[in-house]
Amino acid sequence: MQCKVEILRIFRNPYYVFWSLFMPIVFYVVFTKIFNSATDDQQLWKAHFLMSMAAFSVMGSAIMTLGIRLVEERKQGWSMFMRITPLSDQAYFAAKMIGQTVIHICSIVIIFTAGGLINGISLSPLEWLMCGVWLLFGSLPFLAIGTLVGTMKRVDTAGGVSNMVYMVLAICGGMWMPMEIMPNFIQNIGKWLPSYHYGSGAWEIVRGGVPDWTNFTLLVGYLVLFMVISGYTRRKQEVAV
Amino acid sequence: METIIEVNQVSKLFKNKTAVDQISFSIQKGEVVAILGPNGAGKTTTMMMMLGLHEPTNGSVRLFGKSPKDKSVRGKIGALLQEVSVIDALKVHEVIQLFRSYYPDALTYEELITFTGFTKDELQKRANKLSGGQKRRLGFALAMAGNPDVLFFDEPTVGMDVTARKLFWSTINELKNRGKTIIFTTHYLQEADDVAERVILFHEGKIVGDGTPTNIKARLIKQSVSFTPLNAISLREIQILPYVIDVYEKDKRVHVLTDNTDLVLATLFEKKLPIQHIEIERGRLEDAFEHLVEQREVI
Repeated sequence: MQCKVEILRIFRNPYYVFWSLFMPIVFYVVFTKIFNSATDDQQLWKAHFLMSMAAFSVMGSAIMTLGIRLVEERKQGWSMFMRITPLSDQAYFAAKMIGQTVIHICSIVIIFTAGGLINGISLSPLEWLMCGVWLLFGSLPFLAIGTLVGTMKRVDTAGGVSNMVYMVLAICGGMWMPMEIMPNFIQNIGKWLPSYHYGSGAWEIVRGGVPDWTNFTLLVGYLVLFMVISGYTRRKQEVAV
Repeated sequence: METIIEVNQVSKLFKNKTAVDQISFSIQKGEVVAILGPNGAGKTTTMMMMLGLHEPTNGSVRLFGKSPKDKSVRGKIGALLQEVSVIDALKVHEVIQLFRSYYPDALTYEELITFTGFTKDELQKRANKLSGGQKRRLGFALAMAGNPDVLFFDEPTVGMDVTARKLFWSTINELKNRGKTIIFTTHYLQEADDVAERVILFHEGKIVGDGTPTNIKARLIKQSVSFTPLNAISLREIQILPYVIDVYEKDKRVHVLTDNTDLVLATLFEKKLPIQHIEIERGRLEDAFEHLVEQREVI
Protein backbone atom coordinates (compact mmCIF):
# COMPACT_ATOMS: atom_id res chain seq x y z
CA MET A 1 0.00 0.00 0.00
CA GLN A 2 2.70 2.44 1.02
CA CYS A 3 4.66 1.55 -2.14
CA LYS A 4 1.65 1.99 -4.34
CA VAL A 5 0.98 5.39 -2.85
CA GLU A 6 4.58 6.50 -3.28
CA ILE A 7 4.45 5.54 -6.94
CA LEU A 8 1.17 7.33 -7.43
CA ARG A 9 2.60 10.44 -5.84
CA ILE A 10 5.60 10.50 -8.12
CA PHE A 11 3.52 10.10 -11.24
CA ARG A 12 1.29 12.95 -10.12
CA ASN A 13 4.28 15.17 -9.66
CA PRO A 14 4.57 17.42 -12.70
CA TYR A 15 8.30 17.97 -12.14
CA TYR A 16 8.98 14.30 -12.37
CA VAL A 17 7.01 13.91 -15.56
CA PHE A 18 8.71 16.92 -17.08
CA TRP A 19 12.33 16.38 -16.06
CA SER A 20 12.51 12.65 -16.05
CA LEU A 21 10.30 11.65 -18.93
CA PHE A 22 9.67 14.56 -21.22
CA MET A 23 13.06 16.26 -21.23
CA PRO A 24 15.20 13.18 -21.90
CA ILE A 25 12.97 12.24 -24.80
CA VAL A 26 13.09 15.77 -26.20
CA PHE A 27 16.86 15.85 -25.86
CA TYR A 28 17.04 12.51 -27.49
CA VAL A 29 15.06 13.64 -30.49
CA VAL A 30 16.95 16.91 -30.74
CA PHE A 31 20.38 15.36 -30.56
CA THR A 32 19.80 12.36 -32.77
CA LYS A 33 17.36 13.70 -35.35
CA ILE A 34 18.07 17.38 -35.71
CA PHE A 35 21.73 17.79 -34.91
CA ASN A 36 22.65 14.65 -36.59
CA SER A 37 26.36 15.14 -36.25
CA ALA A 38 28.56 13.30 -38.60
CA THR A 39 29.61 10.46 -36.43
CA ASP A 40 31.07 7.36 -37.86
CA ASP A 41 28.46 4.95 -36.75
CA GLN A 42 24.96 6.41 -36.76
CA GLN A 43 23.27 3.40 -35.23
CA LEU A 44 25.79 3.13 -32.44
CA TRP A 45 25.59 6.82 -31.59
CA LYS A 46 21.83 6.63 -31.40
CA ALA A 47 21.95 3.69 -29.05
CA HIS A 48 24.70 5.34 -27.05
CA PHE A 49 22.72 8.51 -26.65
CA LEU A 50 19.58 6.61 -25.74
CA MET A 51 21.47 5.10 -22.83
CA SER A 52 22.72 8.52 -21.84
CA MET A 53 19.21 9.85 -21.74
CA ALA A 54 17.84 6.89 -19.83
CA ALA A 55 20.63 7.34 -17.31
CA PHE A 56 19.94 11.06 -17.25
CA SER A 57 16.29 10.42 -16.48
CA VAL A 58 16.83 7.90 -13.73
CA MET A 59 19.54 10.01 -12.15
CA GLY A 60 17.22 13.00 -12.14
CA SER A 61 14.38 11.26 -10.46
CA ALA A 62 16.69 9.63 -7.94
CA ILE A 63 18.35 12.88 -6.89
CA MET A 64 15.59 15.41 -7.29
CA THR A 65 12.29 13.64 -6.83
CA LEU A 66 13.46 11.68 -3.83
CA GLY A 67 15.53 14.42 -2.23
CA ILE A 68 13.06 17.24 -2.55
CA ARG A 69 10.22 15.05 -1.45
CA LEU A 70 12.06 14.05 1.70
CA VAL A 71 12.67 17.69 2.60
CA GLU A 72 9.07 18.63 1.92
CA GLU A 73 7.76 15.83 4.04
CA ARG A 74 9.89 16.80 6.97
CA LYS A 75 9.13 20.47 6.54
CA GLN A 76 5.39 19.93 6.57
CA GLY A 77 5.60 17.74 9.62
CA TRP A 78 4.51 14.73 7.67
CA SER A 79 7.48 12.58 8.57
CA MET A 80 6.91 13.47 12.21
CA PHE A 81 3.30 12.46 11.89
CA MET A 82 4.34 9.15 10.38
CA ARG A 83 6.29 8.43 13.53
CA ILE A 84 3.16 8.10 15.62
CA THR A 85 1.72 5.48 13.29
CA PRO A 86 2.72 1.84 13.69
CA LEU A 87 4.51 2.02 10.35
CA SER A 88 8.21 1.76 11.13
CA ASP A 89 10.77 4.20 9.74
CA GLN A 90 12.49 1.38 7.93
CA ALA A 91 9.29 0.24 6.27
CA TYR A 92 8.57 3.81 5.25
CA PHE A 93 12.02 4.26 3.83
CA ALA A 94 11.95 0.91 2.11
CA ALA A 95 8.59 1.76 0.53
CA LYS A 96 10.12 4.95 -0.80
CA MET A 97 13.07 3.09 -2.29
CA ILE A 98 10.89 0.41 -3.84
CA GLY A 99 8.57 3.10 -5.17
CA GLN A 100 11.51 4.92 -6.71
CA THR A 101 12.83 1.74 -8.26
CA VAL A 102 9.49 0.94 -9.83
CA ILE A 103 9.42 4.48 -11.17
CA HIS A 104 12.91 3.97 -12.60
CA ILE A 105 11.81 0.81 -14.32
CA CYS A 106 8.94 2.77 -15.86
CA SER A 107 11.26 5.58 -16.95
CA ILE A 108 13.66 3.11 -18.50
CA VAL A 109 10.93 1.24 -20.31
CA ILE A 110 9.31 4.43 -21.60
CA ILE A 111 12.58 5.93 -22.80
CA PHE A 112 13.76 2.69 -24.36
CA THR A 113 10.45 2.35 -26.16
CA ALA A 114 10.67 5.94 -27.33
CA GLY A 115 14.16 5.27 -28.63
CA GLY A 116 13.06 2.13 -30.34
CA LEU A 117 10.13 3.86 -32.01
CA ILE A 118 11.87 7.09 -32.97
CA ASN A 119 15.17 5.76 -34.19
CA GLY A 120 14.48 2.09 -34.65
CA ILE A 121 17.33 1.05 -32.45
CA SER A 122 17.86 -2.63 -32.54
CA LEU A 123 19.62 -4.33 -29.72
CA SER A 124 19.33 -7.96 -28.79
CA PRO A 125 16.80 -8.69 -26.03
CA LEU A 126 19.68 -9.60 -23.76
CA GLU A 127 21.35 -6.26 -24.39
CA TRP A 128 18.15 -4.36 -23.64
CA LEU A 129 17.73 -6.31 -20.47
CA MET A 130 21.32 -5.85 -19.40
CA CYS A 131 21.13 -2.14 -20.01
CA GLY A 132 17.98 -1.94 -17.93
CA VAL A 133 19.45 -3.90 -15.07
CA TRP A 134 22.66 -1.88 -15.17
CA LEU A 135 20.72 1.36 -15.10
CA LEU A 136 18.70 0.14 -12.13
CA PHE A 137 21.73 -1.02 -10.23
CA GLY A 138 23.59 2.18 -11.03
CA SER A 139 20.74 4.28 -9.68
CA LEU A 140 21.61 3.26 -6.13
CA PRO A 141 24.37 5.82 -5.49
CA PHE A 142 22.09 8.51 -6.90
CA LEU A 143 19.33 7.46 -4.53
CA ALA A 144 21.88 7.87 -1.77
CA ILE A 145 22.60 11.38 -3.06
CA GLY A 146 18.85 11.91 -2.99
CA THR A 147 18.64 10.99 0.68
CA LEU A 148 21.56 13.30 1.34
CA VAL A 149 19.70 16.13 -0.37
CA GLY A 150 16.75 15.05 1.75
CA THR A 151 18.55 16.04 4.93
CA MET A 152 18.58 19.70 3.93
CA LYS A 153 16.43 22.08 5.88
CA ARG A 154 14.70 24.13 3.21
CA VAL A 155 12.90 23.01 0.11
CA ASP A 156 14.41 25.89 -1.88
CA THR A 157 17.95 24.97 -0.95
CA ALA A 158 17.32 21.34 -1.67
CA GLY A 159 15.80 22.22 -5.05
CA GLY A 160 18.68 24.48 -6.02
CA VAL A 161 21.42 22.21 -4.85
CA SER A 162 19.95 19.10 -6.37
CA ASN A 163 19.40 20.84 -9.68
CA MET A 164 22.98 21.99 -9.77
CA VAL A 165 24.40 18.64 -8.76
CA TYR A 166 22.21 17.01 -11.35
CA MET A 167 23.32 19.28 -14.19
CA VAL A 168 26.99 19.14 -13.30
CA LEU A 169 26.85 15.37 -13.08
CA ALA A 170 24.99 15.11 -16.36
CA ILE A 171 27.23 17.45 -18.35
CA CYS A 172 30.58 16.48 -16.91
CA GLY A 173 29.64 12.83 -16.94
CA GLY A 174 29.23 12.98 -20.70
CA MET A 175 25.53 12.36 -20.80
CA TRP A 176 24.75 15.16 -23.18
CA MET A 177 27.85 15.10 -25.28
CA PRO A 178 30.44 12.38 -25.52
CA MET A 179 33.32 12.86 -23.10
CA GLU A 180 35.82 12.91 -25.95
CA ILE A 181 34.70 16.30 -27.22
CA MET A 182 34.85 17.96 -23.80
CA PRO A 183 37.77 20.12 -22.75
CA ASN A 184 40.56 18.22 -21.08
CA PHE A 185 39.98 19.40 -17.54
CA ILE A 186 36.34 18.39 -17.67
CA GLN A 187 37.37 15.00 -18.94
CA ASN A 188 39.71 14.70 -16.00
CA ILE A 189 36.99 15.56 -13.51
CA GLY A 190 34.36 13.59 -15.34
CA LYS A 191 36.30 10.37 -15.14
CA TRP A 192 35.83 10.42 -11.39
CA LEU A 193 32.14 11.27 -11.36
CA PRO A 194 29.57 8.58 -10.66
CA SER A 195 27.52 9.78 -13.61
CA TYR A 196 30.29 8.99 -16.09
CA HIS A 197 30.67 5.49 -14.77
CA TYR A 198 26.94 5.10 -14.65
CA GLY A 199 26.63 6.01 -18.31
CA SER A 200 29.69 4.18 -19.50
CA GLY A 201 28.45 0.88 -18.14
CA ALA A 202 25.45 1.10 -20.42
CA TRP A 203 27.55 2.47 -23.29
CA GLU A 204 29.77 -0.60 -23.07
CA ILE A 205 26.76 -2.85 -23.25
CA VAL A 206 25.39 -1.29 -26.44
CA ARG A 207 28.82 -1.77 -27.94
CA GLY A 208 28.52 -5.45 -27.17
CA GLY A 209 30.81 -5.38 -24.15
CA VAL A 210 30.22 -5.55 -20.42
CA PRO A 211 30.60 -2.76 -17.86
CA ASP A 212 34.16 -2.31 -16.74
CA TRP A 213 35.04 -3.31 -13.20
CA THR A 214 36.08 0.29 -12.49
CA ASN A 215 32.53 1.39 -13.32
CA PHE A 216 31.27 -1.13 -10.88
CA THR A 217 33.67 -0.36 -8.04
CA LEU A 218 33.35 3.39 -8.37
CA LEU A 219 29.55 3.25 -8.25
CA VAL A 220 29.62 0.99 -5.21
CA GLY A 221 32.21 3.27 -3.66
CA TYR A 222 30.04 6.31 -4.19
CA LEU A 223 27.03 4.44 -2.85
CA VAL A 224 28.84 3.64 0.39
CA LEU A 225 30.26 7.15 0.64
CA PHE A 226 26.91 8.91 0.24
CA MET A 227 25.12 6.47 2.48
CA VAL A 228 27.63 7.06 5.24
CA ILE A 229 27.43 10.85 4.89
CA SER A 230 23.66 10.91 4.79
CA GLY A 231 23.35 8.45 7.67
CA TYR A 232 25.76 10.56 9.69
CA THR A 233 23.88 13.79 8.95
CA ARG A 234 20.59 12.20 9.87
CA ARG A 235 21.86 10.95 13.17
CA LYS A 236 23.31 14.35 13.97
CA GLN A 237 19.98 16.02 13.19
CA GLU A 238 18.09 13.57 15.35
CA VAL A 239 20.32 14.29 18.30
CA ALA A 240 19.69 17.99 17.83
CA VAL A 241 15.94 17.58 18.26
CA MET B 1 -8.68 1.14 36.82
CA GLU B 2 -6.01 0.61 34.29
CA THR B 3 -3.26 3.17 34.11
CA ILE B 4 -2.69 4.13 30.51
CA ILE B 5 -0.21 6.94 30.70
CA GLU B 6 2.46 7.39 33.30
CA VAL B 7 4.56 10.53 33.29
CA ASN B 8 7.25 10.38 35.91
CA GLN B 9 9.47 13.30 36.92
CA VAL B 10 9.77 14.46 33.37
CA SER B 11 11.78 17.52 32.33
CA LYS B 12 12.56 18.85 28.92
CA LEU B 13 15.23 21.38 28.11
CA PHE B 14 15.48 23.18 24.80
CA LYS B 15 18.83 24.87 24.38
CA ASN B 16 19.13 25.55 28.11
CA LYS B 17 15.57 26.79 28.34
CA THR B 18 13.40 24.62 30.53
CA ALA B 19 10.14 23.94 28.73
CA VAL B 20 8.85 21.31 31.12
CA ASP B 21 10.08 21.06 34.67
CA GLN B 22 9.83 17.86 36.69
CA ILE B 23 6.23 16.96 36.05
CA SER B 24 4.49 13.78 37.10
CA PHE B 25 0.98 12.55 36.51
CA SER B 26 -0.82 9.46 35.40
CA ILE B 27 -3.93 9.00 33.32
CA GLN B 28 -6.40 6.18 33.76
CA LYS B 29 -8.38 4.37 31.12
CA GLY B 30 -11.48 6.25 30.01
CA GLU B 31 -10.47 9.60 31.45
CA VAL B 32 -11.01 12.80 29.53
CA VAL B 33 -8.21 15.08 30.52
CA ALA B 34 -7.62 18.69 29.60
CA ILE B 35 -4.13 20.04 29.78
CA LEU B 36 -4.83 23.67 30.45
CA GLY B 37 -2.43 26.56 30.48
CA PRO B 38 -1.43 29.75 28.75
CA ASN B 39 0.74 29.72 25.65
CA GLY B 40 4.25 28.55 26.30
CA ALA B 41 3.35 26.68 29.47
CA GLY B 42 4.77 23.43 28.13
CA LYS B 43 1.49 21.80 27.10
CA THR B 44 2.51 20.91 23.58
CA THR B 45 5.97 19.78 24.66
CA THR B 46 4.39 17.47 27.20
CA MET B 47 2.09 16.07 24.57
CA MET B 48 4.97 15.55 22.16
CA MET B 49 6.79 13.60 24.84
CA MET B 50 3.73 11.46 25.51
CA LEU B 51 3.62 10.72 21.79
CA GLY B 52 7.30 9.83 21.73
CA LEU B 53 8.09 12.64 19.30
CA HIS B 54 10.31 14.42 21.79
CA GLU B 55 12.68 12.62 24.06
CA PRO B 56 12.45 13.82 27.68
CA THR B 57 15.71 15.27 28.98
CA ASN B 58 15.02 13.60 32.32
CA GLY B 59 12.40 11.25 33.66
CA SER B 60 10.26 8.70 31.85
CA VAL B 61 7.02 8.52 29.91
CA ARG B 62 5.23 5.18 29.67
CA LEU B 63 2.16 4.36 27.63
CA PHE B 64 0.48 1.05 28.40
CA GLY B 65 3.58 0.35 30.48
CA LYS B 66 5.83 0.63 27.44
CA SER B 67 7.84 3.25 25.63
CA PRO B 68 5.65 5.52 23.48
CA LYS B 69 7.85 4.53 20.55
CA ASP B 70 6.89 0.88 20.85
CA LYS B 71 5.10 -0.39 17.79
CA SER B 72 2.24 -1.96 19.73
CA VAL B 73 1.71 1.35 21.54
CA ARG B 74 1.59 3.29 18.32
CA GLY B 75 -1.14 1.01 17.08
CA LYS B 76 -3.32 2.07 19.98
CA ILE B 77 -2.91 5.81 19.83
CA GLY B 78 -4.12 8.50 17.49
CA ALA B 79 -3.24 12.17 17.45
CA LEU B 80 -4.30 15.42 15.94
CA LEU B 81 -1.38 17.79 16.12
CA GLN B 82 -1.50 21.56 16.01
CA GLU B 83 -0.24 21.78 12.49
CA VAL B 84 -2.15 19.38 10.38
CA SER B 85 0.25 18.27 7.73
CA VAL B 86 -0.96 16.60 4.63
CA ILE B 87 0.85 14.49 2.15
CA ASP B 88 0.91 16.07 -1.29
CA ALA B 89 -0.40 14.66 -4.54
CA LEU B 90 -2.82 12.30 -2.87
CA LYS B 91 -6.57 12.49 -2.81
CA VAL B 92 -8.42 12.61 0.48
CA HIS B 93 -9.84 9.13 0.17
CA GLU B 94 -6.42 7.74 -0.72
CA VAL B 95 -4.81 9.26 2.36
CA ILE B 96 -7.53 7.81 4.56
CA GLN B 97 -7.15 4.37 3.01
CA LEU B 98 -3.39 4.60 3.35
CA PHE B 99 -3.67 5.33 7.04
CA ARG B 100 -6.14 2.55 7.57
CA SER B 101 -3.63 0.15 6.08
CA TYR B 102 -1.13 0.96 8.86
CA TYR B 103 -3.30 -0.34 11.66
CA PRO B 104 -4.15 -3.92 12.56
CA ASP B 105 -7.79 -3.23 13.46
CA ALA B 106 -8.66 -0.04 11.66
CA LEU B 107 -12.09 1.51 11.60
CA THR B 108 -13.94 0.85 8.40
CA TYR B 109 -13.65 3.44 5.70
CA GLU B 110 -17.38 4.15 5.90
CA GLU B 111 -17.23 4.74 9.64
CA LEU B 112 -14.43 7.23 9.21
CA ILE B 113 -16.32 9.10 6.55
CA THR B 114 -19.40 9.34 8.73
CA PHE B 115 -17.28 10.54 11.61
CA THR B 116 -15.76 13.36 9.65
CA GLY B 117 -18.64 14.16 7.36
CA PHE B 118 -16.64 14.38 4.16
CA THR B 119 -18.73 14.68 1.04
CA LYS B 120 -18.09 12.71 -2.14
CA ASP B 121 -16.58 15.77 -3.80
CA GLU B 122 -14.25 16.45 -0.94
CA LEU B 123 -13.03 12.87 -0.94
CA GLN B 124 -11.90 13.23 -4.54
CA LYS B 125 -9.94 16.40 -3.83
CA ARG B 126 -6.19 16.49 -3.48
CA ALA B 127 -5.42 16.60 0.24
CA ASN B 128 -3.12 19.60 -0.05
CA LYS B 129 -5.83 21.62 -1.76
CA LEU B 130 -8.20 21.42 1.20
CA SER B 131 -9.14 24.44 3.27
CA GLY B 132 -7.89 24.79 6.82
CA GLY B 133 -11.07 23.42 8.35
CA GLN B 134 -11.20 20.50 5.93
CA LYS B 135 -7.58 19.68 6.68
CA ARG B 136 -8.44 19.52 10.37
CA ARG B 137 -11.24 17.12 9.62
CA LEU B 138 -8.86 15.02 7.58
CA GLY B 139 -6.40 15.16 10.47
CA PHE B 140 -9.16 13.95 12.72
CA ALA B 141 -9.97 11.10 10.35
CA LEU B 142 -6.32 10.09 10.34
CA ALA B 143 -6.17 10.22 14.14
CA MET B 144 -9.20 7.95 14.28
CA ALA B 145 -8.09 5.62 11.50
CA GLY B 146 -6.63 2.94 13.73
CA ASN B 147 -9.60 2.90 16.11
CA PRO B 148 -7.23 4.02 18.88
CA ASP B 149 -7.78 3.56 22.60
CA VAL B 150 -6.09 6.82 23.42
CA LEU B 151 -6.55 10.04 21.51
CA PHE B 152 -4.36 13.12 21.73
CA PHE B 153 -5.53 16.49 20.51
CA ASP B 154 -3.19 19.45 20.56
CA GLU B 155 -5.19 22.69 20.63
CA PRO B 156 -7.94 21.02 18.63
CA THR B 157 -10.32 23.93 18.28
CA VAL B 158 -7.90 26.67 17.27
CA GLY B 159 -9.12 28.10 14.00
CA MET B 160 -12.50 26.38 14.14
CA ASP B 161 -15.68 28.37 13.88
CA VAL B 162 -18.46 28.01 16.43
CA THR B 163 -20.36 25.28 14.58
CA ALA B 164 -17.26 23.25 13.91
CA ARG B 165 -16.29 23.58 17.54
CA LYS B 166 -19.67 22.33 18.72
CA LEU B 167 -19.53 19.42 16.33
CA PHE B 168 -16.04 18.58 17.47
CA TRP B 169 -16.93 18.48 21.14
CA SER B 170 -20.03 16.42 20.55
CA THR B 171 -17.87 13.91 18.69
CA ILE B 172 -15.48 13.89 21.63
CA ASN B 173 -18.39 13.18 23.92
CA GLU B 174 -19.38 10.26 21.79
CA LEU B 175 -15.84 8.93 21.87
CA LYS B 176 -15.86 9.33 25.62
CA ASN B 177 -18.99 7.20 25.78
CA ARG B 178 -17.21 4.53 23.80
CA GLY B 179 -14.65 4.37 26.58
CA LYS B 180 -11.79 6.09 24.82
CA THR B 181 -9.16 7.90 26.80
CA ILE B 182 -8.88 11.44 25.57
CA ILE B 183 -6.20 14.00 26.27
CA PHE B 184 -6.35 17.47 24.84
CA THR B 185 -4.49 20.71 25.37
CA THR B 186 -6.23 24.04 25.40
CA HIS B 187 -5.75 27.54 26.64
CA TYR B 188 -9.50 28.10 26.97
CA LEU B 189 -10.69 27.50 30.47
CA GLN B 190 -14.24 27.18 29.23
CA GLU B 191 -13.42 24.23 26.99
CA ALA B 192 -11.62 22.41 29.73
CA ASP B 193 -14.57 23.05 32.02
CA ASP B 194 -17.20 21.89 29.53
CA VAL B 195 -15.58 18.77 28.23
CA ALA B 196 -13.00 17.38 30.59
CA GLU B 197 -13.49 15.34 33.71
CA ARG B 198 -10.08 16.28 34.86
CA VAL B 199 -7.95 19.33 34.34
CA ILE B 200 -4.20 19.46 34.64
CA LEU B 201 -3.20 23.07 34.96
CA PHE B 202 0.17 23.97 33.52
CA HIS B 203 2.18 27.05 34.06
CA GLU B 204 5.76 27.72 33.03
CA GLY B 205 6.52 24.06 32.59
CA LYS B 206 5.13 23.05 35.95
CA ILE B 207 1.84 21.51 37.00
CA VAL B 208 0.12 24.03 39.24
CA GLY B 209 -3.16 22.20 39.63
CA ASP B 210 -4.65 18.77 38.94
CA GLY B 211 -8.25 17.89 39.69
CA THR B 212 -11.85 18.06 38.54
CA PRO B 213 -12.88 21.25 36.75
CA THR B 214 -14.96 22.28 39.78
CA ASN B 215 -11.99 21.68 41.97
CA ILE B 216 -9.68 23.71 39.83
CA LYS B 217 -12.23 26.47 39.48
CA ALA B 218 -12.76 26.63 43.22
CA ARG B 219 -9.06 27.04 43.62
CA LEU B 220 -8.92 29.69 41.00
CA ILE B 221 -11.94 31.72 41.99
CA LYS B 222 -11.85 33.84 45.06
CA GLN B 223 -15.17 34.94 46.43
CA SER B 224 -15.43 38.11 48.35
CA VAL B 225 -17.72 40.04 50.69
CA SER B 226 -17.57 43.80 50.47
CA PHE B 227 -19.19 46.53 52.52
CA THR B 228 -18.97 50.20 53.43
CA PRO B 229 -17.96 50.81 57.02
CA LEU B 230 -20.08 53.40 58.90
CA ASN B 231 -17.09 54.59 60.82
CA ALA B 232 -13.42 53.74 60.78
CA ILE B 233 -12.85 50.05 61.09
CA SER B 234 -9.66 48.17 61.71
CA LEU B 235 -8.75 45.93 58.80
CA ARG B 236 -6.64 43.86 61.13
CA GLU B 237 -9.67 43.02 63.19
CA ILE B 238 -11.34 41.50 60.18
CA GLN B 239 -8.23 39.80 58.94
CA ILE B 240 -8.14 37.56 62.00
CA LEU B 241 -11.75 36.38 61.58
CA PRO B 242 -12.19 32.74 60.55
CA TYR B 243 -12.28 31.87 56.81
CA VAL B 244 -10.86 35.23 55.83
CA ILE B 245 -8.05 35.00 53.34
CA ASP B 246 -7.32 38.63 52.74
CA VAL B 247 -8.75 42.08 53.41
CA TYR B 248 -8.20 45.29 51.50
CA GLU B 249 -9.84 48.65 51.11
CA LYS B 250 -10.73 50.06 47.73
CA ASP B 251 -12.93 53.07 46.86
CA LYS B 252 -14.00 53.41 50.48
CA ARG B 253 -15.27 49.85 50.51
CA VAL B 254 -13.73 47.02 52.44
CA HIS B 255 -13.27 43.79 50.48
CA VAL B 256 -12.92 40.53 52.32
CA LEU B 257 -11.59 37.61 50.30
CA THR B 258 -12.76 34.21 51.42
CA ASP B 259 -13.62 30.76 50.24
CA ASN B 260 -16.78 30.67 52.33
CA THR B 261 -18.90 33.80 52.07
CA ASP B 262 -21.75 32.42 54.22
CA LEU B 263 -19.65 31.90 57.28
CA VAL B 264 -17.90 35.24 56.90
CA LEU B 265 -21.26 37.00 56.71
CA ALA B 266 -22.48 35.14 59.78
CA THR B 267 -19.41 36.26 61.71
CA LEU B 268 -19.76 39.83 60.54
CA PHE B 269 -23.36 39.97 61.78
CA GLU B 270 -22.56 38.16 64.97
CA LYS B 271 -19.91 40.75 65.80
CA LYS B 272 -22.43 43.46 64.99
CA LEU B 273 -19.85 45.46 63.12
CA PRO B 274 -20.93 48.92 61.97
CA ILE B 275 -21.24 48.14 58.28
CA GLN B 276 -23.74 48.67 55.44
CA HIS B 277 -24.29 48.01 51.71
CA ILE B 278 -23.08 44.47 51.89
CA GLU B 279 -22.39 42.72 48.59
CA ILE B 280 -21.17 39.30 47.71
CA GLU B 281 -19.00 38.93 44.65
CA ARG B 282 -18.06 35.84 42.86
CA GLY B 283 -14.98 36.32 40.73
CA ARG B 284 -15.26 35.53 37.07
CA LEU B 285 -13.49 32.40 36.15
CA GLU B 286 -11.61 33.83 33.22
CA ASP B 287 -10.43 36.72 35.36
CA ALA B 288 -9.25 34.34 37.99
CA PHE B 289 -7.39 32.29 35.44
CA GLU B 290 -5.67 35.32 34.04
CA HIS B 291 -5.01 36.51 37.53
CA LEU B 292 -3.34 33.26 38.42
CA VAL B 293 -1.23 33.37 35.34
CA GLU B 294 -0.17 36.96 35.87
CA GLN B 295 0.47 36.43 39.53
CA ARG B 296 2.81 33.58 38.81
CA GLU B 297 4.55 35.59 36.21
CA VAL B 298 5.25 38.30 38.77
CA ILE B 299 6.74 35.74 41.11
